[in-house]
Amino acid sequence: MTLFKEYIFPRLIQWVIVIFIGVSLTFLIPRMSPINPIDQAMGRLTAFQTLSPEATLALRQSLMDLYGLDGSLFSQYVNFWGRVLRGDLGPSFSAFPTTVTEMIGSAIWWTIGLLGLSTVIAWTLGLVLGALAGYFPDRWWSKVLENTLVSIYPIPYYIVAFILLMLFTYYLPIFPLVGGSRGAPGFSWSYLSSLVYYGFLPALSLVIGATAFRFIMSKALAGTERTSDYVRFAEIAALPKRKIVFRYVIRNTMLPQVTDLALSLAAIFEGALITEVVFGYPGLGYLLLNAINASDYNMIMGITLLSIVGIATASLLIDLCYPLIDPRVRYR
Amino acid sequence: MDQPPILEARDLKAYYITEAFGVRRTVKAVDGVSLAIRPGEIYGIAGESGCGKSTLLKMLLGEFEPPLTPVEGSVTYDFGEGQHDALDMSEGEVTATRWSRVSYVPQGSMHVLNPVRRIGDTFHDFISTHQPMSRRQTNERVAAYLAEFGLREGVLRAFPHQLSGGMRQRVTIALATILSPKLIFADEPTTALDVVVQRGVIQLLKRIQRDHGSTLVLITHDMGVQANLADRIAVLYAGKLVEEADTRTIFKAPRHPYTQHLIGSLPTLEDKVARVSLPGRPPALDDPPSGCRFHPRCPYAMEVCKTIVPPLVTLEGGHRAACHLITGETDHAAATSPALA
Repeated sequence: MTLFKEYIFPRLIQWVIVIFIGVSLTFLIPRMSPINPIDQAMGRLTAFQTLSPEATLALRQSLMDLYGLDGSLFSQYVNFWGRVLRGDLGPSFSAFPTTVTEMIGSAIWWTIGLLGLSTVIAWTLGLVLGALAGYFPDRWWSKVLENTLVSIYPIPYYIVAFILLMLFTYYLPIFPLVGGSRGAPGFSWSYLSSLVYYGFLPALSLVIGATAFRFIMSKALAGTERTSDYVRFAEIAALPKRKIVFRYVIRNTMLPQVTDLALSLAAIFEGALITEVVFGYPGLGYLLLNAINASDYNMIMGITLLSIVGIATASLLIDLCYPLIDPRVRYR
Repeated sequence: MDQPPILEARDLKAYYITEAFGVRRTVKAVDGVSLAIRPGEIYGIAGESGCGKSTLLKMLLGEFEPPLTPVEGSVTYDFGEGQHDALDMSEGEVTATRWSRVSYVPQGSMHVLNPVRRIGDTFHDFISTHQPMSRRQTNERVAAYLAEFGLREGVLRAFPHQLSGGMRQRVTIALATILSPKLIFADEPTTALDVVVQRGVIQLLKRIQRDHGSTLVLITHDMGVQANLADRIAVLYAGKLVEEADTRTIFKAPRHPYTQHLIGSLPTLEDKVARVSLPGRPPALDDPPSGCRFHPRCPYAMEVCKTIVPPLVTLEGGHRAACHLITGETDHAAATSPALA
């Protein structure tokens, strides 16, 4: 019960406050911008045709209604919250009348699948390889790994992505250039294997950089663990190396790394802009880029809200999981 | 007395050899130490910081890695079934030897227990490495053993940070001795503990040694602890054994000037005079003084001490000391006795 009162409850409150402030800012910032989306939409609609003044006024009024720009700032704010809580983010400006919720709903699974898998794979790979290299710094494979990954790490991501794209779709056309899948969606072998086939290159491009980063972190952390008293003691007691690496070294380097994992999983909701654009992958990042290009405010706001809620929730979940990972947190 | 020594070091030399940018640096941390430890005794190794105690311990345990390199000499174990070379064990031999025969109580128990593992899991890790045993069996065995130490079974489910310093030290000693090892190394087991806990630890080590009939090698600079526990004491100075005798002799009739100062620095209840401290500090071991390594600090230093290394001579009752004052005496006695006769 004290665990709930002293640990869980304050964090729940914190989560509510963060989301409240984030959503409020998302509401306020576009309204402080000098660009009026109604004028823009009107401009777009009336660019190639003239409307009667009555029709223009009616159109303006219905756009105000639709975008929630009617009434005082406060009543707009109350309405805005009402719509956010109902999950109604309004129509997309550029793909009217499809709603933002619908469009995000269809894009998000691509992003979650691609980024979720590649993040988890890169994290696990980097963590284990880094810990092994940190625990056995004098082995030849540890030096080869370190030199390779440290050289790869500083290469800008878009260069890695373009190199992969050129190598494997142009010079050696093994992988497809754009798209997310082939054939009708369903639990068929051909559809599922096409998911892997289309997702492989974008995932690989993400995994390379993320693994290098995780490797460097994990190696540094494991290097300090290696000289700790409990690892030395376990070594003198001749515990098997495998046990020492996994249960003594990695287990103790986990806490900061689990935080990182959760935060990068939360960042999934922002989409992987460059990846999805370079590989023509139909995810959130691609959607966001199009929305920005088309001044699709509702869509931009929708994706922003999603990432606020996503990151706040992920942080809450990490906090709630800490006691499971580090027993010392349990009895603060 | 007549049993072969359980642990014997012969002319052991262990140096830290480092090479950076073509410059080779050799630190002679242990330089020609010979000692024999008898089964069942408590053997104390004393000396101030930087005299090679820890390095000697690493060599006696056979747990060393570069830059520490054995250069000469040998360390052998004998558990009553022939000799083992401690400096050249395969991984399998190390697993077979450690914990079931040779164990180690580390210095300071604050951080020797894995902070994210329950005590019971740590015990299982350590025991199952050496004796295949189910989780239930280890739990029963550990609970019974911990009870002897005055620790409740609940400790098994605790994490290290939930225990007090004294409990953690007892858990660590239990962890090191649960397989009844024949030879236990204790490295500064009482350092950094308050005096009340220190007393408990000393009694505990004494009891384990008596109950299991094990041999205890006690490494500490604390002469008070040595006096309380050890049967025999070896005094190290600058990587060399300067004196070795039974505890009573070391305290009542030390022969080496360094030992005399070490004992002389201990306060006694009666006298109220300030203790005399020995000026200077132990020499850097990459370039030790020539001759007797103690001569720059020795109040009795003679010409011969600056050039010739004094041999370790055996006096009556197995008392050994390395000092030219004594060598001179025995030479003199040997030279004059025929004339007297």
